[in-house]
Amino acid sequence: MDVRAQIVMVFNLDKCIGCHTCSISCKNIWTDRKGAEYMWWNNVETKPGVGYPRQWEDQERFKGGWVVDGKKLKLKAMGKGPTLANMFFQPNMPKIEDYYEPFDFDYGNLAGAKEGKDQPVAEAFSQISGKKIEEIQGGPNWDDDLSGSQIYAAKDLNLKDKKVIESYDSMFMQYLPRICNHCLNPACVASCPSRALYKRGEDGIVLVDQEVCKGWRFCTSACPYKKVYFNWNTGKAEKCIFCYPRVETGQCNACAHSCVGRIRYVGVLLYDADAVEGAALKGDTELVEAHRDVILDPRDPEVCRLARENGVPEQWLEAAVASPVYALVKEFRVALPLHPEFRTLPMAYYIPSLSPVLSTWGDTHKLLEHGMIPALQTLRVPIGYLASLLSAGNEGVIEEVLKKLIALRVQMRAENLGLPADPALLQEAGLDEAAAKRLYRLFTVAGYNERNVIPPQQREEDDPQRRKQEAGFGILKKTRGGSK
Amino acid sequence: MLNSLIFIALPYAALALLLLVTPYRFLSNRLTWSAYSTQFLERKVLYWGINPWHYGILPILLAHVLGFAFPGLFKRFLGNPETLVGVESVLFGLGAFAVLGVLLLLLRRVNSGMLKRVTFSSDWLILYLLLFQAGTGIYIGYFMRWGSQWYLHTAVPYLWSIVSFQPQIEYVADLPLVFKLHAACAFLIVAVLPFTKLVHMLYLPVDFLKDPPLLYRWRSK
Repeated sequence: MDVRAQIVMVFNLDKCIGCHTCSISCKNIWTDRKGAEYMWWNNVETKPGVGYPRQWEDQERFKGGWVVDGKKLKLKAMGKGPTLANMFFQPNMPKIEDYYEPFDFDYGNLAGAKEGKDQPVAEAFSQISGKKIEEIQGGPNWDDDLSGSQIYAAKDLNLKDKKVIESYDSMFMQYLPRICNHCLNPACVASCPSRALYKRGEDGIVLVDQEVCKGWRFCTSACPYKKVYFNWNTGKAEKCIFCYPRVETGQCNACAHSCVGRIRYVGVLLYDADAVEGAALKGDTELVEAHRDVILDPRDPEVCRLARENGVPEQWLEAAVASPVYALVKEFRVALPLHPEFRTLPMAYYIPSLSPVLSTWGDTHKLLEHGMIPALQTLRVPIGYLASLLSAGNEGVIEEVLKKLIALRVQMRAENLGLPADPALLQEAGLDEAAAKRLYRLFTVAGYNERNVIPPQQREEDDPQRRKQEAGFGILKKTRGGSK
Repeated sequence: MLNSLIFIALPYAALALLLLVTPYRFLSNRLTWSAYSTQFLERKVLYWGINPWHYGILPILLAHVLGFAFPGLFKRFLGNPETLVGVESVLFGLGAFAVLGVLLLLLRRVNSGMLKRVTFSSDWLILYLLLFQAGTGIYIGYFMRWGSQWYLHTAVPYLWSIVSFQPQIEYVADLPLVFKLHAACAFLIVAVLPFTKLVHMLYLPVDFLKDPPLLYRWRSK
């Protein structure tokens, strides 16, 4: 067992209102630069919808992630030999049109135009070519809220039955905020011929070394979530850095900090690095369980001993015990990985939304099994759809989570109104009263320090004199290497 | 005069620039060390330009370098006329392929609005140099037959005399002008290499072939 620590984010989809505040705070801090105009390290997309970049989930086209080949894992796109052969032209790379051509408006014309018969307008121009754009073809969140659209939503690969979105009775919508998942088995890292991408041993954050990157572009297509971007100005790859300058000092990420709905939780997970490959080799339906098995119990003394041996600091072990992420992912089993079938073991987890009830007028009250709370089968978002997103098609996993959420609501509603609660319902869902209390607290009133348990990094633990002599005052640079 | 410029001044200037500027750029400004791919912005023409160019020019470049490094071996290998004809035809075909590729790469920059912001004077410079170099190359290949043979007896000993700092230009001084231009352009390309995106060819991605798929970096280890 090789115990390591990873900093992880959980998203509660029930609470996401799609306001894009997270995207804006991320953009303002990190990607408000030439070459990065089109990048949204954090984006929020409407589901069903094509997402950003368009149809990123289509791995037959972009060839991202891993596939099981016999008893081994291999990159879906290509092996090492073909990587060398495809260096000059990378066949699976998304093009700018798959995102959108970034544009701005010529506001100067409003004040500077010569006197004429018509009111001057601020025309759109491309931020790449500088040319005027007659008709804008795409932009950030171009399909925002268009969950009934035949042009966008109908092309969602998770939507098996397209009829669902054709009528107002059955149409549904939810938001999906996405950042880089900082995977345990990152395909981007494995695909890089320059070895510029790496995973930090201490906290698991995946980064691109800008000095080593030569712009071969394999990472942009190898990432099945399309979260590695190509900067057309610097000719290098860039990606979400999990706000490491903030996280290192114990502050939470800009996206999580600015989240209006407080849907995000940030915390530490301990995992077994030796079990990662085995978990990725599991069959589709077993993947979610395999994910949970890789995550270790921070209260287990043996796990703690091995973690200490691996140099995980005491503060991190304490944070792992207090981690809201551990509670949601492993203890309560309500948070699920996004598209586990890509086999990168993503370390961002999603609590599926408890959607409104699906009914026709007049039938409504018959559909409500527990007073005002809808029954599982009548939820508006099809379980198959959620399963395609969050459990590689395993509907049992989704049902288990939704049952818990329903039982929790019934319980808390009864408590609020002073009505007798049905303890059997909680039990059936695998919860007890104490667990329900904790979950309720996490979902509703938990403050900043409960939602974000981020231990600062232990740079000061190194002998400061030695560090000063060896590293100077700057960032310790290692161009290549580090051990496995 | 022209001979000493092309065959003495130019190669030493080029070598000096290559040996001094390359490490300076590597140490001081590695952030600009990139192949500067423009595939993201334009890919249709690129496909037909970049593949013929690289797959055409790389074997030819390799043949030049290997001929320089192991002249004896190649003299024996090309002693057989049939082998010589075979090698010449293959290299000529690859050369034509490369010229076509670099021509497309050049025209692509002329015509695409999307590429305007990522096209700098250094891009034009190297595209023109490479086109000229590949063009004179296939001209020599066609009109001055059996180049792969006489190259070993003229340019190779001359190049050896350059790297051993005893330049003997009589090996190449009497060759036709087009050969001299080909040589001059080659030295120019070496000279501008450290200043342009051509530096990407100084980095061969081979480490990843033997590395484990996942790379970790530890601050503490």
